[in-house]
Amino acid sequence: MSEPREGTVVQRRWMTILQKAGTPVISALLAIAVGSIIIWASGYDPLAAFAALFKGSFGSPKAVGDTLLKSTPLILTGLAVAYGFRAGLFNIGAEGQLFMGGLAATAVGLALGATSWWISVPLMLLAAMLAGAAWAFIPALLKARIGAHEVITTMMFTYIGRYFVSYLVNGPMKEPGNIPQTPALDPSAQLPRIATLFSEGAREALPILNLGRAHMGIFVALIAAVVIWLILKYTTLGFENRAVGFNRWASETAGISVQWTTVKALCISGVLAGLAGATEVMGVHHRLFDQFSSGFGFTGIAVALLAKNHPLGVIPAALLFGALSAGATTMQFEAKVPQDIIQIIQALVIFFVAAEEIVLWFVRRRQKEAISHAG
Amino acid sequence: MLDSIITPDLFAAAIRIATPLALAAIGGTICERSGVVNIALEGIMLTGAFFGTAVVLATGEPWLGVIAAVVAGISISAVHAFASINLRSDQTVSGTAINLLALGVTGFLMKLWYGHPGTTDQIKTLGSVFNFEAPGGGVLAEVWRWVNAILFTHSPIVYLAIIIAIVAQWAVFKTRWGLRLRALGEHPRAVDTVGVNVARGRWIAVLMSGALAGLAGANLTIEQVGSFTENMTNGRGFIALAANIFGRWTPIGSYLASLLFGFADALQIKLQILRGVINVPPQFFQMLPYILTVVVVAGVIGRAVAPAASGVPYRKD
Repeated sequence: MSEPREGTVVQRRWMTILQKAGTPVISALLAIAVGSIIIWASGYDPLAAFAALFKGSFGSPKAVGDTLLKSTPLILTGLAVAYGFRAGLFNIGAEGQLFMGGLAATAVGLALGATSWWISVPLMLLAAMLAGAAWAFIPALLKARIGAHEVITTMMFTYIGRYFVSYLVNGPMKEPGNIPQTPALDPSAQLPRIATLFSEGAREALPILNLGRAHMGIFVALIAAVVIWLILKYTTLGFENRAVGFNRWASETAGISVQWTTVKALCISGVLAGLAGATEVMGVHHRLFDQFSSGFGFTGIAVALLAKNHPLGVIPAALLFGALSAGATTMQFEAKVPQDIIQIIQALVIFFVAAEEIVLWFVRRRQKEAISHAG
Repeated sequence: MLDSIITPDLFAAAIRIATPLALAAIGGTICERSGVVNIALEGIMLTGAFFGTAVVLATGEPWLGVIAAVVAGISISAVHAFASINLRSDQTVSGTAINLLALGVTGFLMKLWYGHPGTTDQIKTLGSVFNFEAPGGGVLAEVWRWVNAILFTHSPIVYLAIIIAIVAQWAVFKTRWGLRLRALGEHPRAVDTVGVNVARGRWIAVLMSGALAGLAGANLTIEQVGSFTENMTNGRGFIALAANIFGRWTPIGSYLASLLFGFADALQIKLQILRGVINVPPQFFQMLPYILTVVVVAGVIGRAVAPAASGVPYRKD
């Protein structure tokens, strides 16, 4: 794609942004369009379905809260997958690292018991980050040393991690009773809901502050996005990451250790996925059980691809998928459309982002129009 | 104790469990030999399993279900072929899209057609092909009892898989088609230069892998389980990919590698029965096939070399 030549500097800058954002936006729109056709072909009303979906994701302060709630882990897993992709690595197993992160956070939280939040919260987040990194470390080492494909190894580690968590919540960590889950975390070990920050009076005056179940984890996720953006843009660590992803042979020649960079990239990816597990446990469930993640690690792949692996682009991409999944329940309840349609739309987004050539055709047409308007 | 573990049905179970892995792995072999990585085996298998079950539920005919599973496998692999060959998408990413698409579509149709999530009703399954007697006593009768139990108690697709492994081995290494297929994955430009259509060759290979993975799904539902459960493939497509690597990108190698995984899985199921004797939680046994996969992939990679152009889109100009 050639840079547009006409127009002022400002116009050209906007064209570049349009170029970068154009493909993802059109991919998402195409996916939603195909999704609508599927809904229609199944005998439902697409308009009613998306109206219900919108109501469930943005229709009220509580719905907005649900969207933020679902977006929180997706920002983190999206960052995890994106950071790997920037080094040319496909961490398809973020889900497993997320499980281990949730496990570590729970274990530390339960061990600390009732204490001050400024002791337990940082320690739990730290434990989750380390556990996520540790779970990515063996696949990372195998990839770096002998080239074992990270798609197979991280995927296998996801299954191993899930069975490990299943064992713990059915065995050593199980709370007394029949339900396979750990005891609840002490309130000091939980991430509070955003709404609790505001006084009742403030919430009455400004109803938008009643954000329902949304919790402080969203700030952890946003900070992580900014940190990863800074790392990639301004540090040697980030530069080496990008260089290896761009051309590993040239990087090796230039004196960058591809092996070491590979290990660091997958471990940092694991850190981010581990954090996602921690925020889910600390902000949403307040305990650990078998099914505490509804595939956030896998949706993170769609988020990263839609964001074109840009750490800040991950935020709107995660909000989109968070909104889709927050509204899915309302859509199934009110429009009777099975909520699996959301997964289909996610898959289509990945497909269209990957199949850029379909989408580029649309972008190029839009660009020609835009340039002729600008001129 | 050993007597209750090492029994004929342990080996029979190994062959049975190996079958869907082997079929998908051979599909993966053919696909990668042509230069297209097929990470979508998992999703294709799941799609085949679902549509196979759906057709048996609708018609009551298991064989129609098998055909439906193969057709479904071919159809969804066509999406992968179109994306990775014509649109030159990243093949791993397009494969991931198909895996998620398969999960979504099967879950969606499950609720649309049967009104509930989870598992479908039981279907009519394909039973064992042979039904030999094992009469009398003595050593010979005992040997025959073992051979019969291990080899002659299986359903049709189990035998079909063995035949497919042998035929595919011959086809890939001894025929003109096989030579071209391997050349496509090693040096597509050379094949193009002598006038062979690269895109066409790769399309055929991807569709064949779709048919085989679909058949694997049919084996799971129409022969083994007798119903469809959401996400029932449970990582088998990825284990099949590992089996294909362990089998060094050869059909018979893929089959034998799958047998190893099948044996490990059969053994862990057996060992779970002995939980009272050896006190290990079941989850650790369930982890074994996945741990074995990592070990195998880690152990073999250094010495096995993938087709050179595997995963690289081909641009004609």
